[in-house]
Amino acid sequence: MTKVGEVLLLLLLPAFVPHTDGTRYSLPGKPTEIKCRSPEKETFTCWWKPGSDGGLPTTYALYYRKEGSDVVHECPDYHTAGKNSCFFNKNDTVIWVSYNITVVATNALGKTYSDPVDIDVVYIVKPHPPEKLEVTVMKDQGWPFLRVSWEPPRKADTRSGWITLIYELRVKLEEEESEWENHVAGQQKMFNIFSLRSGGTYLIQVRCKPDHGFWSEWSSTSYVKVPECKTSSVWILILVFSAFILLILIWLIHMNSHSLKHCMLPPVPGPKIKGFDKQLLKSGKSDEVFSALVVSDFPPTTSNYEDLLVEYLEVYVPEQQELMVDEGKDHDGCLKSIGSASDSDSGRGSCDSDNLLMDKSGAAKEEQQQQNQEGDQIGTETQGPKEAWEKETMLCANEDVVSPDASSKKVKTWPSVFSPVTPYSPSPLDPHNSLEMHKQNCLSDTQFPPGSPSSDHCIKKALQSSYWEVCFNNNQPYPQTDVHQQLQAHSDRNISAINDGNVPSNLLLPTRMTEYVEVQRLNEENKVLLHPIPSGHSREKACSWVGHRDNYSKVKGVNSDNVLLLQRDVVEEESMEMAGAAESCYTSSIAINTPKPTTCSHIALPVQEERVLAVSGYVDTATMFSLDTYVNEMKPVASKANTV
Amino acid sequence: MKTDFCEILQKLNSNNGSMLCVVTMCRAVPINDLIYRASQQSDKLHALSTMLTQELVCTYRVHACHTSSLQTPTDKEQALQVSESDLLSLARSLLQAWSDPLVVLSSSTNVLPYSAQSTLSKTIQKMQEHSKDLKDGLDILSSKMGPAAQTITSLPFIETNEIGQDKITKLLSCFRRDSHKIDSFLKVLRCRAANMQPQMC
Repeated sequence: MTKVGEVLLLLLLPAFVPHTDGTRYSLPGKPTEIKCRSPEKETFTCWWKPGSDGGLPTTYALYYRKEGSDVVHECPDYHTAGKNSCFFNKNDTVIWVSYNITVVATNALGKTYSDPVDIDVVYIVKPHPPEKLEVTVMKDQGWPFLRVSWEPPRKADTRSGWITLIYELRVKLEEEESEWENHVAGQQKMFNIFSLRSGGTYLIQVRCKPDHGFWSEWSSTSYVKVPECKTSSVWILILVFSAFILLILIWLIHMNSHSLKHCMLPPVPGPKIKGFDKQLLKSGKSDEVFSALVVSDFPPTTSNYEDLLVEYLEVYVPEQQELMVDEGKDHDGCLKSIGSASDSDSGRGSCDSDNLLMDKSGAAKEEQQQQNQEGDQIGTETQGPKEAWEKETMLCANEDVVSPDASSKKVKTWPSVFSPVTPYSPSPLDPHNSLEMHKQNCLSDTQFPPGSPSSDHCIKKALQSSYWEVCFNNNQPYPQTDVHQQLQAHSDRNISAINDGNVPSNLLLPTRMTEYVEVQRLNEENKVLLHPIPSGHSREKACSWVGHRDNYSKVKGVNSDNVLLLQRDVVEEESMEMAGAAESCYTSSIAINTPKPTTCSHIALPVQEERVLAVSGYVDTATMFSLDTYVNEMKPVASKANTV
Repeated sequence: MKTDFCEILQKLNSNNGSMLCVVTMCRAVPINDLIYRASQQSDKLHALSTMLTQELVCTYRVHACHTSSLQTPTDKEQALQVSESDLLSLARSLLQAWSDPLVVLSSSTNVLPYSAQSTLSKTIQKMQEHSKDLKDGLDILSSKMGPAAQTITSLPFIETNEIGQDKITKLLSCFRRDSHKIDSFLKVLRCRAANMQPQMC
């Protein structure tokens, strides 16, 4: 009976066991994937993956056996590391010793063993990720870069060398579709990242690995924003602005290109030469060009210079009453006074001048003829009788300013150089000329009534006067020495004529003044006053005194008033024009003193001590300053002369 | 350089209290650099052996190596308490113990499949070179560190009657561990000497 009862119980036992729907109980599944890791080579943890539980509560157990020992130990700690784990602390951990680990799953039905695993702690090191990740933005010469720094995981003992860690970091822009950029940092705990994008946000992570182990997990992400590059935007603005201004400037220049060209590159003036044909020059035929320049009279093609010379002025000094001057029709030049620059030897005494004059009277004639041959021309003017005389007087008396009216009748503008020289009939005019000259001389010295006895004086005084107008009118260029000689002779003749009463008749005053005369000599007693005649005046115009600081070393000629006209160095081109018939006639007032004071009686006009004339004979313009005083002083004298 | 050497020796003396008398003059190469160089070599050596083992050894198995008799520290505390001289001695002993087995290993490649033979041969050749360099460096280093460092424990290699494949597997496994020991010792030694150069640790 009992046996039957046991069998029945056994058969009925499953019936008493509660049934689940469709579940079959089984042994637990085999735990798999046992993985052990050690974070610092001092402890380690093993995890397993449990199998099916078989429908029944299953417990897991880990057993291990050390190398060289058969003792089986069970996991000391199932909880620290979580579920399905086993944690081995320091006491339970040995290195360079193999562990043989087995996990057993147990449920009501049985146990299931996993496959054993042999591990060595030193081979399963996987550290924790680095800690204290810091990222800062730094600047390298204005360019930003990231400086990343971190600390090794807390538990890893790198100080003693127990663990040697190698680090790696990765960077990524906070954008979609951006890739991680990995950098191996080696054993250092700091790393620099360059080539950043301004204004971008970066993500940075770092991990580590022991020299012979597994990589750690990536650390927590660190975010960093790179600041904007402010200077770039500023520079862009500046660039745009300057480009804009540049465009405007270019447009302005383009609009005013024409006027700018005129301003920067003024057109080259063409030649203004009478007879000069630019077209001919362009054509390249130089012969034609130069032939056009050749005027009939200039340059002198003939060697007959004698013809070209100005005719001499015959000056003879009649008596006072006969001092009549015809008003010359030819007012080419002014001749006033007689140049006292007779002697080159300034050392002659004033008293000797008479003797000299006497001696030279004959020589004057010879010179006169010579000069005739030379062809010098001295413009002369003749005037009517008394009227002219008076006018002459007035003219000559006005040292400071020659009245235009008066001078107009006497002064002739300079003719063109190229204009043909009109010969001047000497004969009828000679006496007049001489008279003029004489008159001039007398006039210049107003204190002496014109008279034969005083004529000498007058002349002398005229010579001595500080007022002397000399104009030379020469059509042809001639050596200055000739003029000089002529002048000298002229003066000599005048003087001699005055003294002797015989006037060389053949003295001609040139009608035109074309060239410069170098006044080289003066008698000691002579004072030459040179009136400047303003330029641009016609023949009829008077020579007005112009107090310029000009160089009056050039003698233009002698006008009808026996005044030596010195041409001022023309500043303006126009006065030098040869084409124009009107030439300015300058008479400059220059007080020229001989170096030796005159001892003969004469009007006590202030004598300049200074040597006005240089050795070369050029009138020293420096004396112009002193002229003012003289001129002023001469005024009262002139007034007196008018009364004469 | 002289100062570095002397400082290290003082430190070494102070740590373990042993009398590390250094009578010899300072060499041109400071100890720091020697140790650093040695650790680099041991690192390479172990890396090679690990690579080789992972390729040829399917599973990790425990083997009784011929060097097991050598007492080595089993955890960190023990290891950090070993003196520099002992550390060097251990490293040199282990290194010395593997000079012959490596030769045996290189000659046993014929049992392996052809594809593995070339890999094994090349790698073993490299390992021998590194081992040689390391040995020379450690010899110089030990000469600077006193007589205690000169001690080398003899670990004779006795060939066993194992099948070719197993022999290789065993040898590779053992060498992997021993090379790791050497590397670990030298790196601990390196950090001990790098007082002035913390970046080495």
